[in-house]
Amino acid sequence: MEDRDKTLTFFESEGGFLGVKLGDNTYDRVRAVRLFPFTDPAKYISIRVGNDMGEELSVIEDLAALSPEQRELVERDLDLNYFLPQIKEIISIKDEYGYAYFHVVTDKGPVRFAINMGGTNVTKLSETRLLITDINENRFEVRDVTKLTKKEQRKLDLFL
Amino acid sequence: MILKIKIPETVREQINEADDDRIYYALPVDINRESMYAENSYLIVTTKRILLFEEGKLVKALPISECGNAKATARVGQGMLTIEQNGTLTLLCRFSHGLIAKYAYIARGINILASGRFEEVESNEYEPSCPICGRAIPGTSKCPHCSGEGGIVKTVRRLARPYHRSLFGIAILMILASVTTLLNPEIQKHLVDKVLLEESPSKSAAFLCLAGMFALSLGIVFVNVAKSFYSTKLGARMSHDLRGELFDKLQATPLSYINDRRPGELLNRVVSDTRVIREFMETVFCNLFTVAFIFVCDIVFMVILNPGLALLTLVPAPFAVAILLAFRKSINRRFHLQWVKNDDQSSNLQDVLSGMRVVKSYGNEKSESEKFLRLSNEYARVQMNNESFWAVFNPIIGTVLGLGLLIVVFFGGKQVLEGEMTAGELLQFMTYTTLLYQYINWMANFPRALMRLKSSVERISDVLSYNVAKKGPGEAIDINGEVVFDHTTFGYKSYKPVLEGIELSVRKGEKIGIVGPSGAGKSTLINLLMGLYEADDGVLLVDGKDIRTLDRKSFHSQLGVVLQETFLFSGTILDNIRFARPEASMTEIIAAAKIANAHDFICKTPGGYDTYVGEKGYSLSGGERQRIAIARAVLADPKLLILDEATASLDTESEYLVQTALSALTKNKTTFAIAHRLSTLKDCDRLIVIDGHRVAECGSHDELIAAKGLYYELLTAQLQMQKA
Ligand SMILES: Nc1ncnc2c1ncn2[C@@H]1O[C@H](COP(=O)(O)OP(=O)(O)OP(=O)(O)O)[C@@H](O)[C@H]1O
Ligand SMILES: [Mg+2]
Repeated sequence: MEDRDKTLTFFESEGGFLGVKLGDNTYDRVRAVRLFPFTDPAKYISIRVGNDMGEELSVIEDLAALSPEQRELVERDLDLNYFLPQIKEIISIKDEYGYAYFHVVTDKGPVRFAINMGGTNVTKLSETRLLITDINENRFEVRDVTKLTKKEQRKLDLFL
Repeated sequence: MILKIKIPETVREQINEADDDRIYYALPVDINRESMYAENSYLIVTTKRILLFEEGKLVKALPISECGNAKATARVGQGMLTIEQNGTLTLLCRFSHGLIAKYAYIARGINILASGRFEEVESNEYEPSCPICGRAIPGTSKCPHCSGEGGIVKTVRRLARPYHRSLFGIAILMILASVTTLLNPEIQKHLVDKVLLEESPSKSAAFLCLAGMFALSLGIVFVNVAKSFYSTKLGARMSHDLRGELFDKLQATPLSYINDRRPGELLNRVVSDTRVIREFMETVFCNLFTVAFIFVCDIVFMVILNPGLALLTLVPAPFAVAILLAFRKSINRRFHLQWVKNDDQSSNLQDVLSGMRVVKSYGNEKSESEKFLRLSNEYARVQMNNESFWAVFNPIIGTVLGLGLLIVVFFGGKQVLEGEMTAGELLQFMTYTTLLYQYINWMANFPRALMRLKSSVERISDVLSYNVAKKGPGEAIDINGEVVFDHTTFGYKSYKPVLEGIELSVRKGEKIGIVGPSGAGKSTLINLLMGLYEADDGVLLVDGKDIRTLDRKSFHSQLGVVLQETFLFSGTILDNIRFARPEASMTEIIAAAKIANAHDFICKTPGGYDTYVGEKGYSLSGGERQRIAIARAVLADPKLLILDEATASLDTESEYLVQTALSALTKNKTTFAIAHRLSTLKDCDRLIVIDGHRVAECGSHDELIAAKGLYYELLTAQLQMQKA
């Protein structure tokens, strides 16, 4: 392939989705995909054609390198693709007959959910970072267990 | 699943329903535009409109006639519903992961309404949590908490019916056990008051009492042993019968039922849920009447004997129960934690041991051993904590349970000294108190055991009550070989279609080659053809008859199948080939093996056809396993042959040999063959390319090359690779 103009110019399409101009081509619908959704959510974003993850147009190495308007457009699409509430506060955890019922406050607002106690529904991403998967396959993250209060940590202890 | 939830009146008022514009579907929208959790937001579909409510206010109303191609797509942790409004792709709403399946049904419903039809989509998938009490439902159609006692009692009665004689016998034994247990203190009292404390104690009377007590003790032991023996036997028999029934039922259910359940869940139903029933019979049921009987009699006797003292004795009972429950909860937590830590440690060990080659080759032994040490330390810490907790609290519990006795001795002793009570009565009273507190422990545990039983019974009866034979016995068929896919649509998950609107008509005797990228749905297509799954939409006709109406046994006996993942049962090569047709003669088996080019390698194994293939055939190479599978298909003498990458693991020469042998065999028989190596398919009459959930191309080799489409690209790519 020849030396193509590799700069991407994002825009909002008519239906409210992310579109992009690349050289002479215009794509009305592209999707932004995180390559490292946990380790580095703001870096290495793959831009793919269509609604169904088609061909890869390019990988943005760092979102910070984009202009603020362009960046906002990409982040808006990322928001549509990823919903990973972070648990900030644990109000209560109740366990009953094999299920644990959580009532928590996340960065997306307060929520209640239930997990199955039997399986590996609480995984450690690192020593202090947890990923909780509920019975509906919703996922919740605890960024840093040590940031929770001692009391909250004790409630979580059962799952660690 | 519920596709029309209850919506608040304030929202409903804004809808303006009319006779020809009623509510079809209503679902919550739980993620708003700002990516925050939303409340009081709904998506409502009426006959003519799609309405979006945010925070109780109507924010969008689209006429369905302008809409089309509604789609619910899954994203990470959420899903979205999109629609094409006058041809422009638009985002309607977002929702959390649990709602995706429901929205997929709604999307289907919108598309049906948009196309001018009025039928309502229904879902028979289960709700993951109870709409009434909000509790998680353990994979059953009804919530075990809200299904009402009537339901469970009925199921238990149904499950227990074949055993009512044994149950009756055990009940008698239970009552006997309680009567003997309760008689003992009576004799004790007699011994103390009427014999020992007499002016001149009579030796013979004392001996008589002792003999009576001895006989009673012996009786208790005997009755208890008999009771345990029969309960254990009954429990084992019940769970055995249930396992058999479940297994039969599971074999009869369509694969999609099994596929809809979480992996391992069905295994659990067969193995652990039946075990729960057995354990309940053994440890709980066998004492149920005894304990209840003793408990009641105990209290009654105590009250008759000395009402004041009885009341005093009962005072600490609620405290004891509360402390016991709290203690048990804490113990469970602690030991669960210990179990998790132990698990961490052993899975790390397992990881390192099985990956030892990698660890060594990267020289990472030191960091790995540090990691293991850390985990092991954690485990040791938790274990030590638990042991000291146990050491401290166990005696405390003992003391609490002994509290009742302490009260009896203190106040009862005083009454004896004051002459208000005889020493024998005190002794009797003490024995009753001990009995009472002994069973409090048991009673505190009972609700938990009952709930466990309830969940298990619910899960089991859920499988057993699944209606398999709703279509009655199928129609027997003598397959001719004509196959028609008519708008067939299917997905393993309701929100993720794998095949959409497949149109394909195959004549008798035609050889169809199926190609397409990996994951396109080729194997899925033949899974449908084999009747393993049922199409979500559209039909699949064999000889003009809907495949769902055919008799499965007669249909399957005429299929010859070689699957992509060759599956061999543990057993001999002979067993595995003969699986297709158990009555086949040795000569036929050898002939089939020869066609599959398997005969020669089988001869070279020391055991010949009697060679044991090991668990799932792991002691054979991939190509060897595949040839056995081909022999199995050949032996079936099928009318319809299905080959999914049947020769992919063979070397070029054996592939050629097997191909020629197979083509002689498949003459005039309808054949579906999937292959990535396109040269394998050169004998096919027609080739279809599956891509993007559809039949992307269809035609003969020459036609497809002339069309210069996908097939042409695949072919030139492969030819180039061969040259390079
Ligand atoms: N049992 C299953 N449950 C859920 N999804 C499945 C199941 N089997 C297959 N799939 C998915 O369905 C899609 C089609 O799978 P299929 O096996 O039909 O592909 P294929 O065309 O045979 O691919 P290959 O060439 O690799 O064999 C894939 O995305 C796969 O992940
Ligand atoms: Mg396949």
